[in-house]
Amino acid sequence: MLQLFEFVTRNRNFILFVLLEVLGFWLLVNNNNYWSVEYFNTANTLNAKSLEISNSIKEYTNLRIVNASLADENRRLNEALTTLQQQKPNNAPTGYQADSIFANRFKYVTIAKVIDNSTHKAENYITIDKGTTDGVKEGMGVVSSTGVVGKVKICNEHFSVITSILHVQFMVSTKLLRSGEIGTAKWENSINPSIIQLKDVSRYKNVMKGDTAVTSDQNAVFPPGIAVGRVKNFKVASDQAFFDIDLELATDFSKISYVYLVENKLQSQQQLLQESLINKRK
Amino acid sequence: MNPNDITRSVLKWLIYVLLHIFVARHLVLFNYAFCFFYIGAILFLPVEVNLTTLLFIGFFTGVAIDSFDNTLGLHVVVTVLIAYLRPIIIQYQLGQKLTEGRIQISIRELGLAGFFSYTILLISIHHTVLFLVEAGSFALLPYTALKIICSIAFTTVALLLAQLLSR
Repeated sequence: MLQLFEFVTRNRNFILFVLLEVLGFWLLVNNNNYWSVEYFNTANTLNAKSLEISNSIKEYTNLRIVNASLADENRRLNEALTTLQQQKPNNAPTGYQADSIFANRFKYVTIAKVIDNSTHKAENYITIDKGTTDGVKEGMGVVSSTGVVGKVKICNEHFSVITSILHVQFMVSTKLLRSGEIGTAKWENSINPSIIQLKDVSRYKNVMKGDTAVTSDQNAVFPPGIAVGRVKNFKVASDQAFFDIDLELATDFSKISYVYLVENKLQSQQQLLQESLINKRK
Repeated sequence: MNPNDITRSVLKWLIYVLLHIFVARHLVLFNYAFCFFYIGAILFLPVEVNLTTLLFIGFFTGVAIDSFDNTLGLHVVVTVLIAYLRPIIIQYQLGQKLTEGRIQISIRELGLAGFFSYTILLISIHHTVLFLVEAGSFALLPYTALKIICSIAFTTVALLLAQLLSR
């Protein structure tokens, strides 16, 4: 007995070493043991909290990549959404079957970053960092994540200039969602960059405050259903046949940073056909 | 060892472990070289620490690292092993210096050759055992061996840098 005690005290470190190693291997081998499941894992409060903090710091470093991938995802989703909506418009009668080429006519070509922007002139333009090399063409529609932005005016290899919706000559065919009325949105008073006017809605129609205005189906540049704004207030002069509607723009033009470029692949066909009609009339 | 020394050692241990958990753990070079920075926490403890304490420190370090990797047991096995082997290797490699008096394990006191002879040996043991235990078999031996060699180099360089940067 005494010898045993002596042996243990003399070799206590070796025995401890062996015990700890056996414990370690035991923990390792049944890797779903109580200890690792209950306490020593990344889900325990202390570990999870500290990992969360270190992660929140790390997040800042890849925000740029996250932004880019999210923008790209949005581009794809927008395209898919437009195609689906065009295949089966929700106000169409049951027999209507959209032609697949027609339904697929809108293509979200690319995402661009706004590098120059003005909002306080009578004719406002936006400059973006994508040009013909990225597939941008003159006449393409430009939308942002929040709503309509404008139309490509000119482009060179790497840059394009967009006629902003805040331009006295720019018109967008717009539909009021709840009342279903179609009018033309135009920035007429050219003072306030968050308000746009909606014309050509008959005074005998029902217009509601707060109604949402979106791009209408009679639009060659923009896909239908892109937000334009909300009815802020409306009035009608006694000698006028149409309402004067003020829309609060969905897009905040002073903060705009990324835009999507939309191409209508059938636009030239449509225009050619419509123009030929004018020629025939002459 | 006075209280001041003890606080310094604890702080040093903490820095090595935290740096491993938050930074070095995520460093992987070319999919082969991993950095096990926390070895420094055990390697650079004062020589005076007795073996029993050393074993417990090793065990505790292993548990701390494992709980962040969700591999309870894996690092425990190796940290306890190197904690046990540490005094033996100090005796074997630095025995001569030990007789001259109290030494501190740092690049300044040991010189580059002494420092490397001590660290590389322990790092090699640590990595070899770690990767073999992790692999669980000798099936992917060439692949595991390459990982071991690359990781030894990476960890050694990392610890060398840590030594050079610390006072």
